[in-house]
Amino acid sequence: MSETTFNSLALQIFAHQLRHNAPYARFCASLGVGPDAMPARWEDIPAVPVSAFKDATLTTFEPGTAELQFETSGTTQRRAGVHFMENAALYRASLLAAFDRAMLPDCARLRYLNVVPSSNEKPRSSLAYMLDVITSARGDGLGGWYVHGDQLAVDEFVHDTHAAISDGIGVCITGTAFGLLNLLDALSARNESFELPPRSRMMETGGFKGRTREIERRQFYRLLSERFGIEEPAITAEYGMTELSSQCYDSLESRSSAQRIKVSPPWLRSRVVDPVGKTIQGEQSGALVHVDLANRSSVLAIATDDLASAARDGFLLHGRLESAGLRGCSLDAEDLWSSVR
Amino acid sequence: MVQRSLKRNALRALPARSIIDAIAAAARQWSDPDLPSRRRSARAIAERTGYSASVVDHALHHLFEPITGTALNQTIAAELGSVDVLDGFVQRDGRPDTFAAAVGSVCLIASRTTIGVTLLPAIYALCAKCDVMVKDREDHLIAAFFGTLAERHEAFSDAARAKTFSSEASELDIHEFDCVVAFGKDATLARIRSACAPNARFVGFGSRASAGYITAGRTHDNGALTATLEGAARDFLLYDSEGCMSLHVLFVEEAAGGGRIAELFSAAVERESLRFPIGTSDLEAVTRRASVQRSAAFRASMASQGVLSDERSTHAIVFDPPRDEPPPFTPRSISVIPVHGPSDAASYLKRHRIALEAFALSERRADLVDMAVEAGAVRLTRFGAMQQPPASGNHGGRPRILDFVRWIDREL
Repeated sequence: MSETTFNSLALQIFAHQLRHNAPYARFCASLGVGPDAMPARWEDIPAVPVSAFKDATLTTFEPGTAELQFETSGTTQRRAGVHFMENAALYRASLLAAFDRAMLPDCARLRYLNVVPSSNEKPRSSLAYMLDVITSARGDGLGGWYVHGDQLAVDEFVHDTHAAISDGIGVCITGTAFGLLNLLDALSARNESFELPPRSRMMETGGFKGRTREIERRQFYRLLSERFGIEEPAITAEYGMTELSSQCYDSLESRSSAQRIKVSPPWLRSRVVDPVGKTIQGEQSGALVHVDLANRSSVLAIATDDLASAARDGFLLHGRLESAGLRGCSLDAEDLWSSVR
Repeated sequence: MVQRSLKRNALRALPARSIIDAIAAAARQWSDPDLPSRRRSARAIAERTGYSASVVDHALHHLFEPITGTALNQTIAAELGSVDVLDGFVQRDGRPDTFAAAVGSVCLIASRTTIGVTLLPAIYALCAKCDVMVKDREDHLIAAFFGTLAERHEAFSDAARAKTFSSEASELDIHEFDCVVAFGKDATLARIRSACAPNARFVGFGSRASAGYITAGRTHDNGALTATLEGAARDFLLYDSEGCMSLHVLFVEEAAGGGRIAELFSAAVERESLRFPIGTSDLEAVTRRASVQRSAAFRASMASQGVLSDERSTHAIVFDPPRDEPPPFTPRSISVIPVHGPSDAASYLKRHRIALEAFALSERRADLVDMAVEAGAVRLTRFGAMQQPPASGNHGGRPRILDFVRWIDREL
C-alpha cells in the first residue's frame, strides 16, 4: 500500500471516527484537532493511550450492536477495558491476511495445537478468538485446545501431537510464552520430546512480563526447538494487543538472526515516538504508536506502553512498560542475585 | 569468603563509646560538602543515579548531618537499656545480668535508588561490634566513608568492608554470614533469605511507598498551606520519586477544594524544581511518565480528572484518578486524590495493598493518626521531612541496633 493510499484511508477513517466516536472526538478537541483543524498526515492523528479503553467506550457505533467485544486484562484491583468491534468480518479478514503473510507463506494446511484456552472458555479473549478463526479457516479440522481453566492438558497434548506425527501432517503449535514454558516443564518432567513432521512451526505471543518466571528469548526458543525437533527459525513471535485489529509478526528475513524485526501488515503502520509523541528517526528507542486501519469502528491510532526502536521495514521490540510498582529502598538486589546464588 | 575479607571480631576490644565517637567524628567530616572524598562520591553518585547535583548534595547532607554521638548514644541506650551492655555484662533489676554481644558477621545488600541506604544499618552493626560487609555501588560511597573511619581507628579497616559485587559467585557467599540485611523487592528478599545459613538472621526491607494527607483545616491559613505544599513538593521531587520515602500519593480533603490544592501543589512543585531540578532519567522512566500523562490527558478530555505538569513535562500530577487505579509509581509522577475524610484514604490504600513507609500529615489530628497507623505506616511525619528520617528513629518499622546483637544472660 502506497504512502498516499495509506494516508488517504487513515484520514478518511479518522474523519469518520471524529464524527461518530464522541469520547475520541473530545480527546482530539483537547489537543486542538477537530473537523476544522484536521491533520494533514496519518502521523499527526491523535493516538489514545491503551488505558483509554478502560476509561471510555470507544466506538463509532452503538456498542450494544457490536458483533465482537474483547476485554483487556484486568485485575482484582482494576477494571478491564473493552474493545468493541462493529463487524466481525473485518477483524477476521485482517487477522487471517496478516497470519497468512507471516505464518503461512507456503500456504500449508496444518494441524493447530493451541496451548491456550479456546474461545468457548474465554469468549472475551481476542487471542482465543483469533486462534479459533485461524484453526477453523486454515487447519485440517483436527486441532485442539490444551488449556482448560488454569490447567494444562498435557496428556491430551502429547496424545494429539503423536497422532499428528503418525498422520505425517505438519502442526502449528501456538501459545503464550508463559504457557509454552509451562508446557516445556511438563514435557521435561515426563521426559517427552518430539520430532515434529516437516513444515511444522510454532507461534508464541505475549512474553513473560509480570509472571513469576522469565527466561531469555533465545534460550526459550532453543528449548522449544530441542523439545519439538524443529529449527529455531520455525518459531515466530506474534505481537498483538486487544486494542488492535491487526497483528505484527517476526519478519521472515530476521527469523534466523539474533534480532528479530517485527513487521506489520500493509494496513497497520507503526511509529517509534519520543515522550512528546514526535517520531524518532534512526535507531533510538521510544514508545510505539500504531495506526491500524482495521480499527475502523473504534480508534485507529493507539499509543502503547511498548518500547521499541525502528528497524528496516519494521521495529525491534524491547519490551512492555509495566507499572513500576512499589519500590523498596533499592531494586538492585535483583541485579545482585545472579552473583550470589 | 568472609574469613578472607573480614577479620573476625575486629572491634571486640574497642569500647562501644569509642566506636560511637569515631563514627560520629567521621560523619561530622562527611557533613562538610568540601571534604574531597565527599565531593568525589557526590560526582560519582550523580553519574550513577542521574540525579542533579543539588539533589545529591541534599541527600548527603541529610544522610550524615543527623549522625551525631548524641543520636547514636540515645538510640542505643533506648533499644538496649545502656551503651555499656555492648562492652560486657551489666546488672539489671530483677533480671539476670546481660551482655549484648555482636551477632557476628553482617552482610548488607543494597541500593540502586536511595543514596547510602546501607549506611545507617552498617553504622549500628559496627556499634554492635559486628564485622560488616556492604555490597557497595559503583560510586563507592560506603567504601569511602569506611575509609574515613579507618583513618580514625585502624580496627575499622578490618571490621568494615565495602565491595562492589562482580559476577563471580565465589566473591561473596552469604551463607557464611550471621546476619544478612537486604533491601529490594519482596520476591528477591525471599530468594536472598533462602540463601542465608539456616541460623542466620535475615532483615529484609521490602517494597514500600509513602503517602500524604492534607486536611481542610490546614487550608484556612495561607502561610501554613504554602509551607505544607512546598514541603510536599520536596517530598515528591527528591530522588525523582524513586525512594520508599518519596511522596507517591497525596490525599486532600474535598472541603479544602481539591482541584485548587492540586493547582497550588503543582505551582509549588514548579518552584521547588528550580532548587531540585530533574535528573537525567532513563528512557524507560521518561516513557513511563509520558504514558501517565497521556492517560491522564485522555481522562481530562472527559472532564473526569486532570493532569498538571510543566512546559517540559518533567513531572505529572494526576488529579482525581479513578480509584481503581494505583499510584503511578513512576519518576516524578503522583496521584492527588480528593477524599471526604480519612476513611476514603484508608480504603484506597487498602484496595491497592500499598505497604507504607512514611505518612505525612498536615496536622496531628487523632483520626488521621489512627488511619495512618491502621494503614500500616511506620513513620508519621510532617510534610517536607519525609525524606529526612532521623538517625535516632526506626526504619521500616524495625529497631536500629537490636538486630545486630546477641543477648547473653548470666544467671550465676
